[in-house]
Amino acid sequence: MSLPNISRVSASGLLRSSRDLRWLLRSVAPLAAPRRALTQMGYRRPGQPREDRPPWWRVKFDFAKGLKGMKRHFKLLKEEFFAPFVGPMGKPIMEHMLEQNQVLWEFRGPHSLQEWTISCDREIGGKSEIYLKVGRNNESCLLYGTLCSDPPKDGETRYSGYCTMRSKQPLASFDRKKYHDWSSFNTLHLRVRGDGRPWMINIVPETFYTHQKDDMYSYFLYTRGGPYWQDVKIPFSKFFLAHRGRIQDDQHPLWLDKINSIGFTLGDKADGPFQLEIDFIGVCKDYAHTEDFAYEKYKRNPEV
Amino acid sequence: MKCSRCLLQLVRSGRTVVQRGSLLLSPSSGQLIVQHNQQQQVLRQFRCSPVLAKSQPEPVRFVNDDGTKKTKSLVTKEDLFEQVAKESKTKATFNQVIDVFTKTDIRRRGHVEFIYAALKKMPEFGVERDLTVYNKLLDVFPKEVFVARNFIQRMFNHYPRQQECGVQVLEQMESYGIMPNIETKVLLVQIFGEKSHPIRKYQRIMYWFPKFKHVNPFPVPQPLPEDPVDLAILSLNRIANDLDAKTTVYQLPFTDITESGEEISFPHIVGIQSPNQMELLAKHNPNRPVFVEGPFPLWLKKTCVYYYILRADPTPPEEKEEEVYDPERCFYYPLQLDLDLDRDLGDEENFDVDDLDEGPVFAMCMTSQGDQATLNQWISGLQQNNPILGRIPTLFRLDAGTRELEGVADTEAGHSHRPPPQSQREDGLPAEDSEAAVEEEEPRRSRGMKQ
Repeated sequence: MSLPNISRVSASGLLRSSRDLRWLLRSVAPLAAPRRALTQMGYRRPGQPREDRPPWWRVKFDFAKGLKGMKRHFKLLKEEFFAPFVGPMGKPIMEHMLEQNQVLWEFRGPHSLQEWTISCDREIGGKSEIYLKVGRNNESCLLYGTLCSDPPKDGETRYSGYCTMRSKQPLASFDRKKYHDWSSFNTLHLRVRGDGRPWMINIVPETFYTHQKDDMYSYFLYTRGGPYWQDVKIPFSKFFLAHRGRIQDDQHPLWLDKINSIGFTLGDKADGPFQLEIDFIGVCKDYAHTEDFAYEKYKRNPEV
Repeated sequence: MKCSRCLLQLVRSGRTVVQRGSLLLSPSSGQLIVQHNQQQQVLRQFRCSPVLAKSQPEPVRFVNDDGTKKTKSLVTKEDLFEQVAKESKTKATFNQVIDVFTKTDIRRRGHVEFIYAALKKMPEFGVERDLTVYNKLLDVFPKEVFVARNFIQRMFNHYPRQQECGVQVLEQMESYGIMPNIETKVLLVQIFGEKSHPIRKYQRIMYWFPKFKHVNPFPVPQPLPEDPVDLAILSLNRIANDLDAKTTVYQLPFTDITESGEEISFPHIVGIQSPNQMELLAKHNPNRPVFVEGPFPLWLKKTCVYYYILRADPTPPEEKEEEVYDPERCFYYPLQLDLDLDRDLGDEENFDVDDLDEGPVFAMCMTSQGDQATLNQWISGLQQNNPILGRIPTLFRLDAGTRELEGVADTEAGHSHRPPPQSQREDGLPAEDSEAAVEEEEPRRSRGMKQ
């Protein structure tokens, strides 16, 4: 699944309102107006001709794949049917209510990589590379590659050079969307070993309106580098709202009850190889952290 | 800010003064400017009558003189910069180009293209992190023309191209992480007015930049030290993760002239070791080898440095011994408590993850040349504080490219970096030698070389 065009226009700039983005695109785009609105069409790589085929043409109908799929879906359905007998979310109720720490992703073996997708600016014509593999001894995952911030020569893109890893949307039986529910936790805990580069953690919640499709809550992940593992604890109150990579004026705290995915992005403009090893990602409830939100509501028309 | 209000009031009073038809004080230079263009005409000061022009200064000369005017090709605004770039690319020449442009035309025709070209050329001239240059570039905009005067103009994106240009200047400042100052704000207010996009962007910068300035728990000093030894000490202290760790410079960089007249340059060798690591090394079983691994990359902003580590594989579970706490080691508090805390699920503070044991790291070092001779020097330097190193076989696992840190099982499972079997024979030799070895003699260490 392709990432939203967060970093296409600028990999590092955060501060313009989204209205300007569309205005700017309109001033550069060809004379014919798009058939559908920009938000609904998804990302079109500059220079590629517009596709006029209806969306159901893209589905491939294959019998063997269908049979395997049916088996998988019915198995998931059976699990979902019997899970409430154990307790909410398949866990006993005492555990669900009282647990203080939950390990979300623990990278032990190649099966843990199935839940993650990686992407880099090769999608928009750039020259970065990214690879994901299991770390030594099946004990961690290693995200490595090369970053190259030469913008693609298509006349539209000005900045480039990003690499990202994002968790796939959890799916219930029959490909229904399932959400992470972290409402009883308030801190994100990661164990990583980086090479000194600053990363960005993005959390994408489920939203109601289509205009909020590219909304992301982000915060920085500064790695120390070196041979020792680094424990990073980020409270969810520190995550700020950004849309397509631009930080928004109207900030509000992240709602933890329906989270779609979490991702890591590298966009510091230092060209060269990078690597990040992740041991596990978990959430925990820190009773000592009482802050609701780190950024105050911004006045829409402040006095100069 | 109080001083911004004072400056703004000065500007506003200047504006009202102009409306009465008297002199305008331009904020960038505090005196009256009378400008002449190439045809030696007295140009009218903006919103001011030429009758008031008192003095007659000399006409301004251009960088490119009339010789090139005969050709009729398309001249872009970047050509101004390119002509200057042929001589030298410094801040002074960049400022000179801006001055030439501002003095050419009182109406500053083509200022938007000029500013875009200047923004593009800034990295070449090396001035992209200089706030004064950005302020000077913002000064190129004519003042007060683009200020919206009523609510309709404010609603409808008054002078959109110029506002977008102003926003782009601020965006380039933001992407280089430069904080604007009060002069930027005053300029933006004079040029675009108070309810304009550039001012909004300025307000956003001034809101978010201070919030995120100190968010890095491992800040990198800016600018980085240029001396490689200082840089090595800084980065080793960073990755050591221990405030008690001590850096030692084993060798400073120097060049030596051999008998044949060749110059050989020797690299610097800086190592770091903390007391915990020394303890771990002292407890290490001499029969098991230690590995010198590297180079591993470490990024500090935009520079990448490489470090090497001395580590060992984790002890297999059968050889692990329980550390017995000596109660007399500390009289202030007990080192071990046998309490039945009666904790239930709600008090479980640790994650349900198996702890990775990758083996202890004994020391780290940084050197510009990562070959075995240099690293051997490091090991012998380390040996002065850790005499056990003389008895432990040291294997070198150096790679030309960058690698991730290794785990255990892969090394024994027929990995390509496995030391050749001849090193196993040599393992026996140092063990014998150590009994006979005297401190003055440098003990031989077995080496398994990776080809």
